[in-house]
Amino acid sequence: MESWIGKANATPGWRSSLPRSWRFPLFRCFFARCKLPPWLLLTLFFFPGFSDAEEPASRVRAGLQVLFDFSNRDSLIDSSGMRRPVEMLVETPDTVRREPGFLNFNDRSVVRSKTRAVKIHQSCCWTNELTVEVWIEPADDQQKGPARILSFSRNGSQRNFTLGQDGNCYDFRLRTTRTSGNGIPSLSTRPGTATKRLTHVVYTRSRNGRAKIFLDGQLAAEAVVPGDFSNWDINFRLSAGNELSGDRPWKGKMYLAAIYNRALTSREVVGNFRAGNQATTPELSTVAGSDQDRFRDSVAPILARHCLECHDEASQKGGLDLSRRVAAFRGGESGQVIKPGQVGSSTLWKSVQSKEMPLDRSPLGDSELQALRKWIEEGAAWTVEKIDPAVFLRSRQVDDRLIRRLTRDEYISSVNSAVGIDISQQARKWLPKDLRADGFDNTAYNLNVDLKHVEVYSRLAEVIVQQVDVEKLSSRFVSKQDLGDSSQDELISKMGAWVLRGPLDAEERFAYLDLGRTVRDSGGDFKELVKVLLEVMLQSPRFLYHVERQKGDGNWWPVDVHTLANRVSFVIWGSPPDQELFELAVSGQLEDPIVLARQVDRLLRDVRAESRSLQFVSQWLNLDRLDNLKPDPKKYPDWNPRLAADMKAETLAVWREVVWSRGRPVTDIFDADFTWVTPELARHYGMKGFSREGLPSPFRVRLEGAVERRGILTHGSVLTVGGDEASMVSRGLFLLNDVLRGVVKDPPPCVDTTPVATRAGLTQRAIAMARIADRNCGGCHARFEPLAFGLERFDGLGRFRPTDHHGNELRQDGKLRFPVGKGPTPFKSSIEFARLIAGNERTAETLAWKLTQFCIGRPLGPADNDRISGIYREAKGAGGTYPQLIRAILASDLIRKSRTVPYPKQP
Amino acid sequence: MSFRKMKRRTVLQGAGATTIAFPLLEEMMVSHVLGASSQFEKSPPVRAFNVFFGLGVPAPLQAEGWQGVLEPLKKISDKLLILRNVDQVRCDESGINAHFDGASGAFTAEPPNGEAKSGGASIDQVVRRELYPGGQPVGVVPTLIGGTFFRRSRLSRYVHSYNADGTVAARMQEKPRDLFDRVFGVLAIGGKDESARRLRLRRSVLDSVVEQYRFYIGNRSPLGSASRSRIADHLDRIRELEQRAFSMGERDSKAPRLPPRSQVAHGGAADPGGQGIDIKLDELTGEWRLMADLYSLAIEMDRVRFGSLTFLAAGERLRVTGDYHFDGKKVFQFDDARQLNASGDKGCSHEWWHQFHPKKKNEALRAHAHMKMREVAYFLERLDQIRDPNGRTALENSMVTVSTESGDGRHSNVKRELSGVFHAISEANGRFKSGQILDVDAEGLDVYNTMLTAMGVEKKIGPSDREHQSIDAIRA
Repeated sequence: MESWIGKANATPGWRSSLPRSWRFPLFRCFFARCKLPPWLLLTLFFFPGFSDAEEPASRVRAGLQVLFDFSNRDSLIDSSGMRRPVEMLVETPDTVRREPGFLNFNDRSVVRSKTRAVKIHQSCCWTNELTVEVWIEPADDQQKGPARILSFSRNGSQRNFTLGQDGNCYDFRLRTTRTSGNGIPSLSTRPGTATKRLTHVVYTRSRNGRAKIFLDGQLAAEAVVPGDFSNWDINFRLSAGNELSGDRPWKGKMYLAAIYNRALTSREVVGNFRAGNQATTPELSTVAGSDQDRFRDSVAPILARHCLECHDEASQKGGLDLSRRVAAFRGGESGQVIKPGQVGSSTLWKSVQSKEMPLDRSPLGDSELQALRKWIEEGAAWTVEKIDPAVFLRSRQVDDRLIRRLTRDEYISSVNSAVGIDISQQARKWLPKDLRADGFDNTAYNLNVDLKHVEVYSRLAEVIVQQVDVEKLSSRFVSKQDLGDSSQDELISKMGAWVLRGPLDAEERFAYLDLGRTVRDSGGDFKELVKVLLEVMLQSPRFLYHVERQKGDGNWWPVDVHTLANRVSFVIWGSPPDQELFELAVSGQLEDPIVLARQVDRLLRDVRAESRSLQFVSQWLNLDRLDNLKPDPKKYPDWNPRLAADMKAETLAVWREVVWSRGRPVTDIFDADFTWVTPELARHYGMKGFSREGLPSPFRVRLEGAVERRGILTHGSVLTVGGDEASMVSRGLFLLNDVLRGVVKDPPPCVDTTPVATRAGLTQRAIAMARIADRNCGGCHARFEPLAFGLERFDGLGRFRPTDHHGNELRQDGKLRFPVGKGPTPFKSSIEFARLIAGNERTAETLAWKLTQFCIGRPLGPADNDRISGIYREAKGAGGTYPQLIRAILASDLIRKSRTVPYPKQP
Repeated sequence: MSFRKMKRRTVLQGAGATTIAFPLLEEMMVSHVLGASSQFEKSPPVRAFNVFFGLGVPAPLQAEGWQGVLEPLKKISDKLLILRNVDQVRCDESGINAHFDGASGAFTAEPPNGEAKSGGASIDQVVRRELYPGGQPVGVVPTLIGGTFFRRSRLSRYVHSYNADGTVAARMQEKPRDLFDRVFGVLAIGGKDESARRLRLRRSVLDSVVEQYRFYIGNRSPLGSASRSRIADHLDRIRELEQRAFSMGERDSKAPRLPPRSQVAHGGAADPGGQGIDIKLDELTGEWRLMADLYSLAIEMDRVRFGSLTFLAAGERLRVTGDYHFDGKKVFQFDDARQLNASGDKGCSHEWWHQFHPKKKNEALRAHAHMKMREVAYFLERLDQIRDPNGRTALENSMVTVSTESGDGRHSNVKRELSGVFHAISEANGRFKSGQILDVDAEGLDVYNTMLTAMGVEKKIGPSDREHQSIDAIRA
């Protein structure tokens, strides 16, 4: 037996490394001794395309929770490397023979885990997915019970799952919320499939309930096992070769046993089968960092920081474009600059090492040089489509796994959803305002907590419970209003799941039950019980934070159904799931893509979706800035602070009409041929023919035929970013950063950045042109100041004027250069300018980035690039509307999955 | 200008102020915080504070020593070590912004990692975490961040205490009343007349809440370390609430009063689109000195051991008016907008820094920088009036660091923006030299790590693979 083990294990690599003339004799010899099925051996040998193309380097690692390969005769310790290993004990050493590479179970063997197999419970209950894999050689095809091969159970009738052999077929029992505590009905293979030969048996169950049994990589049985694993018992132990009660023995040899917290795909099952029964499993550390990418994480930021200012697609100095793979490897006028594996011959390396490049800029630091050198030495793998400076220039590590506190608005809506109380007045007055960071108020890292928050959460909880109609609220969850343990348990389970936006586990329930007993023992009544429970729940981390499971193996795992419901609801509404969505999560039906899609459509039709989108546009354009607008009264004596509110309302009204009333692509806001103004704002803008009489406020104005205004960039709300002087620097930077997702560096040292004042004969444009022509300034200023040329005729408060206050004639033509792409595009007027902005792909892409950031509440980094590109492409293909963007975001891994935090590796 | 010196107790009794719950002030003046008194009586606690002022002191002016803009520090010069030529090279990458990148580097040595983050921990927080691993005594505010400032587009412009992940170590208290409340306020949970039974229930509610937070920071928590750390911060705040609500006794009818309501702009109104605001010198310094008084009172009562205090933000934009006096003499008349002949941002004092040239007189800049030094000195002198149990003052015993955003800057025609950044430190109970002006010619990171070593902290800030250069010249 020992001899075939090594060879079977070595099969794929062994075959491919031999000359073809040697293969057949060796194969014949191998075939005679190896117990892998002949069909597979023939396939591997005679169809090298099949085997070479799909040859796995090793067994599947992702999702692995438990692994026993029995290579150590002295101990039975799980070698998955995931969390604390499960250690098995042989309780009946006389009946279990340990051999290197396998366990031989004889009659009445008992092998069980020393302690509860908590990690299997926790990790599988998170995903509601499971794979159980064994390599076994049954002693006979008569054993029944089913005879327990691998079991996670308590006794003969209580289990989370059990793989068994029932005569000449295999049987798998799985407890879900829709099967019995004994895992019935089970899934079985057809008779005759369990034989005495070495067999690879794999059971998989995905979150949509699809369960499969594979034998030697072939599908052998399939069924739907509905429900989820929330009723699994955490106290069960893992056992092999028998039930813990000792009355369901299995006889045979076990070479490998593995448990995953996800359903392996058919291809992965075949891969594990082909790897053989003793293939190595890659180290956890090599997998947990699978999101790492040397080029993306180290080299692309260096190129963006030091090279693209002159060598991007638009500039291409020396004919060199280092922003795209093909162009970069093609080289420039001086030839190829990157020679993979040949550092000494790569001009790129030589020029930066000698500090010849970057020209007139700071040289690369030592660590940057080392990273670049190593990348070229290792073959210069270019892993991103293009180096977008917006993604890589200020590349930084983005913690995408930081828990996020509810914003003030989310808190208000969550209270309203949970108990039907409108607490907005007190919450807005008492809770500290959430501060803007990286463009939005809901950025996780900045949602920290001060003593004031904690104090106010406590006060608000008191206020809320005083207002709650206890009878009405509790009747939603329980029919009996008594203080008995079972009634309390039911109340806590149901009310807790609703208020805390997901089911409570046993420990949580016990903690609340303790509290309930305190109320009861101190003479409290049911009403007081409900109030006390609510008061605690409203201050719980599960209420105040978006609590999601984070620990795993470092890979992306699908989120559970309640997390999915919460994410969907908070993305679309900024508030928790309503009753319908919640119940679909509870029943598991939300796992069904069709059901989920219908719910997304329903939520998007609700008025809350519109309100949420207005929060997005307000924060994206920083419209709250208008609340503090204080123009110089000498320069703008007619300014009325009420106009600031009118300007904000104008932009929101245009958004509402474009996005919600007309269902147009979001980029249409830049080219809208209408607006909404109050009579005062119309007068401020110099719009003729409107008076207060007979008009609602605000009222709609068609801009067709207008010569100056079109879209939100010509709104006062946006134009005021330029300050009193209508600064082209400020407006240009706003357009570059927030509309076109471009970036520039801050001015270099020794440059006097004192704004130059206009005068007769010197306009803002002339000053900008001088900066652009300057050798030191032009490289950057050429990227953003021309963006403001189309708005030159609007003063600091958004009034259109053909001349400035010195009498200088102002222009509105220019050439528009987008942050990526070739050559500038000319325009003749602000209207043409608006059309160019609206029609450019970069604008639409920027909106996809901004909206995604807002939806997930954190800044985006290089690692998100591919996912956002996917979101953009999908939304664009579907029409580019706001609902389509939201659908694409909700369909992405950013919502459907979580990147887990790896557990510390166990020795 | 004559500035009326305010007594500590006086400032807490502003006209028309409202009495809030404030426990046993007189007793606490003696016994300090609950649970900390016995230790405090033996030796002064380890304390570390960052003091930040905006816009900096150009290196050529630092070279003038006590005769120039540093003159106001002269009175306490024997308690300070002035560090010249400290380079923030780590923050000085191509394309940085001298203001918020430079400010982020003040005693963190790291550029910001986002609009509201630094790139790493500030040294006061490194000391706090390492020397108080189990937390500080009951009643001590874990970290107190306060300041008087008016530029707020980036957080690193005005916050100067950061956690290891670069997030702020505590929320900024920007009004004297907020700071007062944060330190001295007692939080009343429940009504005065509640029964013992009801109070017990309230206690149970809080216990139950605490247990939930404890679970999420424990070994079985489903959260990763960054999230657990965030929840741990929340739990710290709950414990503070708990302590204040249940452990600090009854309200005192003789309780001091809230400081007067702030008269200067705050929030968004303090920074209208980067255009700057008009402010009178008296309004500015009056508010600041109230903050400085409250902060030093908190230190004196051992309510605070770590944190930062900011006098004007990095890249501050103010149009200041008013006569500036020092030592009884009128030094200058501020009237920025008129003197610059401009309005909006172009009329702000910030422009004097843009116009700085070492060969010119730079009178307005000198006056502004001098005024800032006067105000920094005001706070430091307050600390120097606090007598610790070892007979030395809080200024002498604490690690007080003074810094700003940029040094030579773009205006003095040197090759780097953030070289020569002004730094000063106190002696930290004999750990550092004092009474000197030292040209350290070193990277900020090395200076800071040397300070950490001297404080008995093993942890280093900055890249882990970097070879640390000890700057022994600063150590006593």
